Amino acid sequence: MSSEYLLTLIVFLPALWALPLLAFDGKAADAIRYFGLLGTALTFGLTLQLLMQYDLTPAPEQLHNGMQFYFSVPWIENWNVNYSLGVDGISLPLVLLTGLVSLLAMIASWSIEKHLKGYVILFLILETGMLGVFLSLDFFLFYVFWEVMLLPMYFLIGVWGGPRREYAAIKFFLYTLAGGVLMLIAMLMLYFSSGNSFDLLHLAEVGQGLGKGFAFSKEFQITAFLLLFIGFAIKLPSFPFHTWLPDAHVEAPTPISMILAGVLLKMGGYGIIRIAFPICPLGAQYCAYGMVALGVFSIIYGAFAALAQTDFKRLVAYSSVSHMGYVLLGLAVWKVGEKAGDPNLHYWRMGVNAAMFQMIAHGISSTGMFFVVGILYDRVHHRDLNKFGGIAGLMPHYTGLAAGIFFAGLGLPGLCGFIGEIFSVLSCWSFDKTLAIIAASGVILTAGYILWTVQRVYFGPAYKGPHGEALVPLLGREQFVAYVLLFFAIGLGVFPNLLFQYMDPSVKTLVDNLDASVHPQIIETATTLVP
Amino acid sequence: MDTGTVLRNLLTLAWLLPLAGFVAEIYALQLRWSHRLSKAPAQLAVACIGAGFLCSLSALLYWGNETKWVGFAPVEHHTPAEGLDGGDTAPADALRPDATGGEPASEHHHQTPKFYAGTFYKLAQFGPLEITLDWYIDSLTLVMFTMVTFIATCIHLFAMGYMKDELTEEYEDHQVHLPGGHHFTRPGRFHRFFAFLSLFCFSMLGLVLAGNIFQVFIFWELVGVCSYLLIGFYVERHSASTAANKAFIMNRVGDFGFLIGLMILITSLGTFRFFDVTTADGAEQTGLFSLVRGDDGKLDISDDPSVTKSVVYLRDSHGHRLVDGTTPRTISYLLLIAAGLGVFAGSIGKSAQFPLQTWLPDAMEGPTPVSALVHSATMVAAGVYLAGRFYPMFPPEVLLGIAYIGCITLFVAATIAVVATDIKKVLAYSTISQLGYMMLGIGVGGWAAGLFHLVTHAFFKSLMFLASGSVIAGCHHEQDMRKMGGLRHKMPITAYTMLIGVIAIAGLAIPGVGNALFGQALAFSGYHSKDAIVASALAFSELNRNPLHNILFIVPLVTAGITAFYMFRLWFMTFAGQPQDEHVYEHAHENPAIMTAPLVILSLLAAGCAIGGEDGWLYCLLSFSETVPTVDRFTSERVASIVIPSHLDARDVHGTAGGLALLAAFAGTTVAYLLYCRKVVNPDDIRRQAGGVYDFLVDKWRFDTLYDVAFVRPCHIVASWCQGFDQKVLDVVLHASAAITIVVSKWERTFDEGMVDGLVNLIGNSTTNFGRSLRVVQTGRLRQYVMWIAVGVVVLFAALFTALPK
Repeated sequence: MSSEYLLTLIVFLPALWALPLLAFDGKAADAIRYFGLLGTALTFGLTLQLLMQYDLTPAPEQLHNGMQFYFSVPWIENWNVNYSLGVDGISLPLVLLTGLVSLLAMIASWSIEKHLKGYVILFLILETGMLGVFLSLDFFLFYVFWEVMLLPMYFLIGVWGGPRREYAAIKFFLYTLAGGVLMLIAMLMLYFSSGNSFDLLHLAEVGQGLGKGFAFSKEFQITAFLLLFIGFAIKLPSFPFHTWLPDAHVEAPTPISMILAGVLLKMGGYGIIRIAFPICPLGAQYCAYGMVALGVFSIIYGAFAALAQTDFKRLVAYSSVSHMGYVLLGLAVWKVGEKAGDPNLHYWRMGVNAAMFQMIAHGISSTGMFFVVGILYDRVHHRDLNKFGGIAGLMPHYTGLAAGIFFAGLGLPGLCGFIGEIFSVLSCWSFDKTLAIIAASGVILTAGYILWTVQRVYFGPAYKGPHGEALVPLLGREQFVAYVLLFFAIGLGVFPNLLFQYMDPSVKTLVDNLDASVHPQIIETATTLVP
Repeated sequence: MDTGTVLRNLLTLAWLLPLAGFVAEIYALQLRWSHRLSKAPAQLAVACIGAGFLCSLSALLYWGNETKWVGFAPVEHHTPAEGLDGGDTAPADALRPDATGGEPASEHHHQTPKFYAGTFYKLAQFGPLEITLDWYIDSLTLVMFTMVTFIATCIHLFAMGYMKDELTEEYEDHQVHLPGGHHFTRPGRFHRFFAFLSLFCFSMLGLVLAGNIFQVFIFWELVGVCSYLLIGFYVERHSASTAANKAFIMNRVGDFGFLIGLMILITSLGTFRFFDVTTADGAEQTGLFSLVRGDDGKLDISDDPSVTKSVVYLRDSHGHRLVDGTTPRTISYLLLIAAGLGVFAGSIGKSAQFPLQTWLPDAMEGPTPVSALVHSATMVAAGVYLAGRFYPMFPPEVLLGIAYIGCITLFVAATIAVVATDIKKVLAYSTISQLGYMMLGIGVGGWAAGLFHLVTHAFFKSLMFLASGSVIAGCHHEQDMRKMGGLRHKMPITAYTMLIGVIAIAGLAIPGVGNALFGQALAFSGYHSKDAIVASALAFSELNRNPLHNILFIVPLVTAGITAFYMFRLWFMTFAGQPQDEHVYEHAHENPAIMTAPLVILSLLAAGCAIGGEDGWLYCLLSFSETVPTVDRFTSERVASIVIPSHLDARDVHGTAGGLALLAAFAGTTVAYLLYCRKVVNPDDIRRQAGGVYDFLVDKWRFDTLYDVAFVRPCHIVASWCQGFDQKVLDVVLHASAAITIVVSKWERTFDEGMVDGLVNLIGNSTTNFGRSLRVVQTGRLRQYVMWIAVGVVVLFAALFTALPK
């Protein structure tokens, strides 16, 4: 399939799929469910097709600034806005992850009864928004998708959520919107100082001092970077912008929690690596230490906060804060050597790869953890950690699967969580030894809160909470979702190079370009044209 | 196929079979090839690990045959002068690369390659940083494989008998009390137990086979999680799941250090591999051992006298210094020490060394076969194995640290064992103490001695644990030795196999008797290996002038006596004397053959595996893998003045050390005999006399209390602070800003409604009012209008005339 059609179809198939749903009778619940499932399954199939067609060793003429399947058509010509999509080793795994998590979340949505038609429609629109964010290469388009994704999410939490759903939905909405506004400011700054361009690839060239006739000064880059970074850090989420996450997760229905943790958080990391870093390398370099410190602090802080929780879902939410800290840590371990191509660069390359891997791994393990919590919640309708116990005896098969998924979150070798965590921590030593040691100490805390949770929920002689009679064995679809996630957790944990082989070439290009761009000899020659 | 490939295939098979077994066993019921009352999963597990043993043994024999059995016989001892010229001596060959995966690279030396190594597959590559799964096979690997698979097979067989209570639909757990006053019942979990054992065997063998330190870390964590699963096998018991958590988290504390070591290695040396490889383009990627030890096994330290500025030059396998452009590649000496200490921190956690020893006694919550396999013979010894494997990376300062940690541990644990009354706890503390001996041996330069003790200890300790398991099963899960006594009449096989283990660990021997046959005293395995360690310790403390280091010899010597005391105390309390509890004694019985047969087999090995002592095959096999030359002394003056003794030094003092150790062992045995068999003095009186010390020991030196106060509670407090910060600060700020926004909006509303609207309304109203007031003149009366016109005209004219200029 030609690239234009394939990428466009991937992005818009879910939204188009939602159109016929309007004609469905709202009471035909199963028909709606199966139709929605088919839509997400087809989309996942298309992302797999993309994986098949993706060339691991592309010829130079196949590439457009490192992008495969790149194309661009004018959209709003007056403002120089283009509809441009493309994929590289950084976005490809995230696109696949989105396809997979959406499919699994749709299967997990079987227990949704309320306003089912509206739910599935919003769900599909949400998927379009997410895929659009990962595939667009035009800043305006990116922004549009970013905001498109926001509204369905607001309603999905606000209508189908738990008791405090309105509060959580508004908190989520306002937080993300605030981030979006900061991004908008940065976008306009960049637009007007780059000769009216929203093209991310062009902006990156300008930022890296290769723009013909345009360049961003250091101060300009720092300002733009900070605006972008805060916008993305809210999404990531990093301390101190994380408090929307526990509330949103606690109130959101299980499948939406899965999407939130599995895909939405990744947009923060993706934005940093795709937009903030390449366009503002000097700003990124300036803020590197702060970002690593923030990442390390998030790791420790999230782990401590998780240790204090009594709500199962809140605990998993805080574990996300901790795990996404590794992403920030790995992305930012950029230590500029005296000359371009310094050996330290390999460790940054390792860090960026690790951060990317951690995003995927967290997408698997955290999705799994929320799903596992959801299985219990569906049965007993509470999440109080002190009112569980004895699940291992009542639901042994479920407990085995849950233990596997929790161990993936704990970072046990052989499972996906380990690879991302360990490589990002390893890459940190060459950047800063103190921060590396603090980050490494996270392994103790992580083991602490996860094992303590497992003990309280699964072990012990008897179940201590209400509705004990509802603790029935896993249903077929629940088994399916859990096994698929566990399969990926083990597969990526044992053969991480399956993923690294896609990421590393793109990461290498990025790292080399950025490093070259901050070295003085290049910066001096660049003329500063910023107003 | 060349030798390396054959060895790799055999050991890989032995390694992966238990994994296949695990998958089949964990799904035994789901896949319906077995049922809850069937022993089939256990048989499968035994088949897997038994086949693994056969593979390992054939690999060992194949290797022996291929190498003309050079590793099995004592090597000629070089004089120090010979050892110095490097080149073609055996230790130098240890660092010969084995570049292309199994090719014996030192063929041109007409000598046996020390090891075979190669790569399975790549985990990740970031430029020159390549992380792979490798294999590394030398005689140490082969011995470990054979030992682990053999002991595991015995323990699997034993467990088939020991765990048969689980072959039921209704297993009643007497240690779990439900609110209603009755016991907890659940379906049996026989298959799951064997699945976990199989998974453990897979992880343990992977650890031994690992060819790089990162891979060691991977399997290190995996054995940790298997240990977690097995300790917490009785998940219903709160004590079991807590002990499992404690074990895992304490190990993670050690792994935190391990991780720092890994960070230093990858950053400073750029590789995790032990061995050198040649890449496809002919370039050599030097492994860790060659980088640090070159081709002659020595550290190439710069002459800088200041320790902070000292660096170690990195070398390739030919001993040439590596350069990066024009500057030589180096690692700071302090950083090398830090890396060594970091990796050793992992060993401290895994081998339950001071100060992380507290998890191991609690781990006895697991079923006894688990204690025998995981928590005495294999996994906990992995820390010692790692210290041995990673030995070339340790500068003398790290070795000194290892020696002291070992020394403290062996003493602390032995003192606690003296007062323990739970039969498994005594063995657990004895395990910690013996692991301390191994660490001490490695730390004082007795590399082969430490690993020798690892293997002998594995045999006699697994034997003793199984024997204790047999006692526990025979006495219906009674573990308190104070309720036993006289059991040798009821369980003779258990009692006498146990006695062999006790004699072995105590290190008793009959000097003079065996000399004609073996050239050594007639003794069981423990005597030989402990002797070797004590001899190295004596050589170390004699060579180092620092009087403090004398404790490295005196403490293990005294502890040898304590060991003999508490082990015989255990045996006398359990098997000798009068029954202390009629009920227990009445119901005690010997166990079926499936449980006693492993005891007999293991007792034979515990007695005989070290035959010949330091000239025997086992010691020779292990010392064949020695990667750092021990033919000459090694001296460091950097941080502290340290002399690592050579083999010859240890040999010189062997007689003295052995004699003293034997004396200590006999003294300990005699005291135990007098106190617990002859009852010359009532032990209770001694206990009363030394109440404070006794309580202190019973409380395990109060480490648990200390850690609870110093770490666990502060962690929870900080956790609640974080939670509070989110809710009380961040959210409050957020809510406050939301509230402020609302207040501002309200003001705006007031302003809008009051001011803006007010003004508009005012204008509107005044216009209306004005209009309304004008309305009164619209009366419709003509006379009035005419009057207004007249008045208007008059006013106009008046204005005209007054305003117009004259």
